[in-house]
Amino acid sequence: MQHGIKRKQWTKELLRHKREEDKKKIETYRALVEQMLQFRDNNNYSVEAMRLTTKVLDINPEFNTAWNYRRDIITNIGNLIDEKFWQDELKFTMIQLKRFPKVYWIWNHRVWILNNIPINQLKMWQGELIVVNALLEMDARNFHGWHYRRVVISNIEKLTKNSLNKQEFEYVTSKINKNISNYSAWHQRVQLITNMLSNDQIADKYDFMNKEIEYITNAIFTDAEDQSVWFYIIWMIKFPIVKELLGQDGYSKFLKELRENAEMINMDELEFSGKDNFWCLKIILEIDMIQNSFDNLTDRSVFKGYLEKLIKLDPLRQNRYKYLLSKLS
Amino acid sequence: MVNALLKEKHIKYLKSLDSQKETLEYWLSEHLRLNGIYWGLTALCILDSKETFQREEVIQFVMSCWNNRTGGFGPFPKHDAHMLSTLSGLQILLTYDAINLITEDSEKLDSVVQFIKGNQLPDGSFQGDRFGEVDARFSYNALSALSILGMLSPEVVDPAVEHILKCLNFDGGFGLCPGAESHASMAFTCLGALSIVNKLNLLTPEQIDTIAWWLCERQVPEGGLNGRPSKLPDVCYSFWVVSSLAIIDRLDWIDSDKLANFILESQDEIKGGIADRPGNEVDVFHTVFGLAGLSLIGYDNLVEIDPTYCMTYELTSKIHKYPY
Ligand SMILES: [Zn+2]
Repeated sequence: MQHGIKRKQWTKELLRHKREEDKKKIETYRALVEQMLQFRDNNNYSVEAMRLTTKVLDINPEFNTAWNYRRDIITNIGNLIDEKFWQDELKFTMIQLKRFPKVYWIWNHRVWILNNIPINQLKMWQGELIVVNALLEMDARNFHGWHYRRVVISNIEKLTKNSLNKQEFEYVTSKINKNISNYSAWHQRVQLITNMLSNDQIADKYDFMNKEIEYITNAIFTDAEDQSVWFYIIWMIKFPIVKELLGQDGYSKFLKELRENAEMINMDELEFSGKDNFWCLKIILEIDMIQNSFDNLTDRSVFKGYLEKLIKLDPLRQNRYKYLLSKLS
Repeated sequence: MVNALLKEKHIKYLKSLDSQKETLEYWLSEHLRLNGIYWGLTALCILDSKETFQREEVIQFVMSCWNNRTGGFGPFPKHDAHMLSTLSGLQILLTYDAINLITEDSEKLDSVVQFIKGNQLPDGSFQGDRFGEVDARFSYNALSALSILGMLSPEVVDPAVEHILKCLNFDGGFGLCPGAESHASMAFTCLGALSIVNKLNLLTPEQIDTIAWWLCERQVPEGGLNGRPSKLPDVCYSFWVVSSLAIIDRLDWIDSDKLANFILESQDEIKGGIADRPGNEVDVFHTVFGLAGLSLIGYDNLVEIDPTYCMTYELTSKIHKYPY
């Protein structure tokens, strides 16, 4: 499984050279692996065995059997383990992660260490928050990073019995403010709001939702091209929670204004570039579909007109629009 | 620019994979060997050239990956068993019509079923092995493996399904666990798992429409598919996204011709094989998922692949379908 590696054409000469270089490395590696597996089969849980796994994992961090053996050694090595030992183990995975940030096994091992440290667990997990902040600073969409952040937060919450929702809400807001196309942050925003609402953590819910509407209005006027914010808006218009909070009138007003804004942005783009903004059109459609279901204000021919426009503008997905057209009749 | 499928070159490329023992990469990828063989073999099945690999040799290798202590397959002899490699092992045996090596050996059958069921957690999710990593991929591994063995049961299926449904997000995508961001590969693992146990009917028509919408938005103007919004296209999503759309019967929501072009342009026209995107280094993983994508969209009379199992229909028709 390789990603993003430029193709290289190997000449016979290059290939011969590589094979020669590999030969030695293979011998060293295989001898190490052989010895390590033998140790394992003899239930050897010693410092020496631990060092052997370090050597193997330094060469090949994807060797999950070596990680497994390492964990068994740690579990069985007994009183040799003190705080420094655990710190070193965390350091080891950090060095590994810097070299191989996308290897699942290293992340797993780090989580396992943190779950098994008998001392200062809270301090350790809080340290992880700094680690994951730095990671998401370097790569704001890192999939492992966001997943790990949720793991870290939930562990801190468990240990302190204190919700971090508000703090995290500020964090995702700052991420979105930095880059409005950060879909990972928008996703997390949905999780947090849902969670805060169900745990009754928002004092003035009506006010909160109105601020949220203001926030997304600013967002679509900043960048109406990227789909991230639009997916978030779909959540806002479709999920019952928002409607409940705003009340029927507030909700209708929200939809009406959102529709007008989408139309306005689209008109501006038409004037500016001669092209419709198809996300604006998609949102208008969603709004019209919702309104059709509780009152019949919107004209079907308008709805049809938008779908026919989208078939031309967004031909990759034309069959979806044709499907919606067919549902109309 | 390449605009035809280089079948012969791909067969040659796949054949060459096993003669790489003098490269360092071969040894550093031991942990993926059984998966790699399944990918290569399935690619060959799609190209109607199964006989390219030596059947007896491969079966012998698979059985040498059997883990006697725990049951299940490791990815390489002496490696620990894992859910990922256990499924690959069974898929290869099924492909060679040799699944009886497990199903007719009651001790092995018991211990592999025990290994799989033993990795199910109280909330219905599955861990990859005894160390606790939870991921919807392992739910798929478990249900697919038990299905191949004909050993599914409500005690395993019902909680598993309940957990999978919790991975569905507001946007119509699926995450690796409840609360995780949507990722196209998870759409396949979750929908595939539901399809295996005949539970797609638990999704409402509205949910299906939303799922298909998120999936079809993965196609970018170049024709390829990405795994998440605002990401680059990648050939492997030709399978994850297209199989998902096929499972919910919305295959026509993307432009197949444009997708086919993107996959074809990612071929290596000299040594064969398919890369993640045009100009990049090829590997067996992108080769099989590129070919599987092409097969699903009906390109060039390739052997038809079953989107639920990622094996040819000829093979999956032998699986006894749940509920029994
Ligand atoms: Zn890929």
